[in-house]
Amino acid sequence: MSSESSLFSHRWLPALLLAPLLLLIVLFFYVPVFQAFYWSFFLEQPFGGGSEFVGLQNFQRVLSDAEFWAATGRTVIFMLTASALAVVVPLMLAIAADRKIGMSYPARNILVWPKGIAGASIGVVFAFIFNPFVGLMGPLNALFPGLWNPGIDGTDAFITLVAAHVWSGIPFNFVILLAGLRSIPPTMYQAAAMDGAGPWRRIFDVQLPLIMPQLFLTFVLEFTESITSVFALIDTITGGGPGGSTTLLVYKIYVDGFRGFDLSGASTQTAILMVFVLLLAACQFYFLGRRINYER
Amino acid sequence: MTAIDTAIRAAAAEIDLIGVTKSYDAKNTIIPPIDVTLRRGEFTVVLGPSGCGKSTLLQMIAGLERVSGGKIVIGGREVQDLEPKHRGCAMVFQNYALYPHMTVAENMAYSLKVAGVSKAERAERVATVAKMLGLADFLTRKPGQLSGGQRQRVAIGRAIIREPGVLLFDEPLSNLDAQLRHDMRVELAELHRRIGATSVFVTHDQVEAMTLADRILILNKGHIEQFDTPKAIYHHPASVFVAKFIGSPPMNILQVEGDGSVLRLADGQAVANYAGKGKFQLGIRPEDIAVNEGGSIKTEIRYREDLGSHEILETKTAEQNLRIAMPFGVEIDTTQTLSLSFPQARLHLFEGESGRAIANAFGDAQPASVKEYQ
Repeated sequence: MSSESSLFSHRWLPALLLAPLLLLIVLFFYVPVFQAFYWSFFLEQPFGGGSEFVGLQNFQRVLSDAEFWAATGRTVIFMLTASALAVVVPLMLAIAADRKIGMSYPARNILVWPKGIAGASIGVVFAFIFNPFVGLMGPLNALFPGLWNPGIDGTDAFITLVAAHVWSGIPFNFVILLAGLRSIPPTMYQAAAMDGAGPWRRIFDVQLPLIMPQLFLTFVLEFTESITSVFALIDTITGGGPGGSTTLLVYKIYVDGFRGFDLSGASTQTAILMVFVLLLAACQFYFLGRRINYER
Repeated sequence: MTAIDTAIRAAAAEIDLIGVTKSYDAKNTIIPPIDVTLRRGEFTVVLGPSGCGKSTLLQMIAGLERVSGGKIVIGGREVQDLEPKHRGCAMVFQNYALYPHMTVAENMAYSLKVAGVSKAERAERVATVAKMLGLADFLTRKPGQLSGGQRQRVAIGRAIIREPGVLLFDEPLSNLDAQLRHDMRVELAELHRRIGATSVFVTHDQVEAMTLADRILILNKGHIEQFDTPKAIYHHPASVFVAKFIGSPPMNILQVEGDGSVLRLADGQAVANYAGKGKFQLGIRPEDIAVNEGGSIKTEIRYREDLGSHEILETKTAEQNLRIAMPFGVEIDTTQTLSLSFPQARLHLFEGESGRAIANAFGDAQPASVKEYQ
């Protein structure tokens, strides 16, 4: 401390500089989190006017609700498929863009653009692209009637959601993974080439092991992202339908809380979701994070 | 020969470069057509300043760079269009280029694994090479846990484990400190003697070149300035470029003018007898200059460097710098003007314009190889 304090002798200046950020985090993150946990033990009146402590009854109610488990199951399926694809697709693009193949420079640029588009806008665009009559699948539907209709078929709607999510995840993951690939010294590839490894072999034996830190980062972020950020997509593309087939937990919470006015139930589910996400990230760090070689 | 000596022993291959050239576009020619033969089992050092094309040349032999023209023949096979793995070469890189996520054993065995060699044989070969290089205790470590010298050994082990016919070295010692560099140099020479692979070693360090090479190939802007044994290059440099590049401190080059009987400095001092007219460049090594009372050449001392074993005097004569190496123990009054003489047999004469050596200028025999590459 003494050596640092001689550099930064002010006592109140650091606190002052930190204050706005701390205030934001506390106000918009920790307070709501605490509130959600708090409410999950109370029965709230939908239009205000006092609440009643009910202990674990909210949890009993939610955990015995078949709809909750169905939404949780869909969330897990979405998390596994969408986040896996949202890492693998940018990975393939990054490996391609890393090589000096034709168009790789403009591609690196263009692939970052979706980052600038809001989730809701992506939803509207994909709702149009996958529209069964005027969208991409329109001609196929004309040939094989009933092949594709996310408005009726729950699987089709789910696929549309996954596609939109993967697309929106490309820029960030692409940039992270490409940065990882670019930082591998070229002599590493040359050495592997001298050792007789062809391009495919080099991907699996040299590139992937060396970008493990980046892959891990994107997976951890994707797993949590895919659970929460999908809300905008569901709201604009499917509205949770058809028949609840795309009602993931995060959307169910919104519907229960703001349409069904079951504030306590929504809070309880929020609390459960938060614990789930935290456990997930902790497990990833515990089981995967320790094995990652950060040495270069 | 011990068992280890015979275990890793390559079938050395001759390398022929026939009109090999490299250019990135019409204007930027890195290497103009080169014709050279590196004999079987020979240790060739490619020496030159940075940007002379020596690494490019090595990468073209390895197959990491495409040739723009010409043929590369290794062991009687044309290889210029083949993938690196089909050329029978192995390479040691400047920054070692070890795989950081693999252990020492895995690093060394990787090429065998790719080639589909069985696990048992891989382990056996790794053990042999590790023993040879003193790495047996480090096989399970990752490169990050090794010292620079150990990493370099792993890189060498990785290269020799396949028993390649050709070993390529791209400035492998330049990342090491002075002491380690010296030790590794000795080890490399020893290793070459044992393995016998045709070796090509790229460096800008003349000491490495002089000590390691059977023959040194000196490159200047992609051109071969001289290709000869270290001795011949030191004693009979083919050009001013070579003369200035080899030797520490480098050879003195004086601008002189011949009047048909003597060569004179700009201020009129006669320095040597030579029956030629016009401008010439006269070379003499700092250690060959004789300092004596009766010497006819006068020079003024500007600065002295005492290196313990000998002393370097920076002097100036006729507005040209002249370095003199004095053996230990010779007392010189640094304030006075020195009298020098240039022993005729130690002088080198170069053409004024091109800087090419003039053979037998002072009656000493130049080796035939000097002519060969002019």
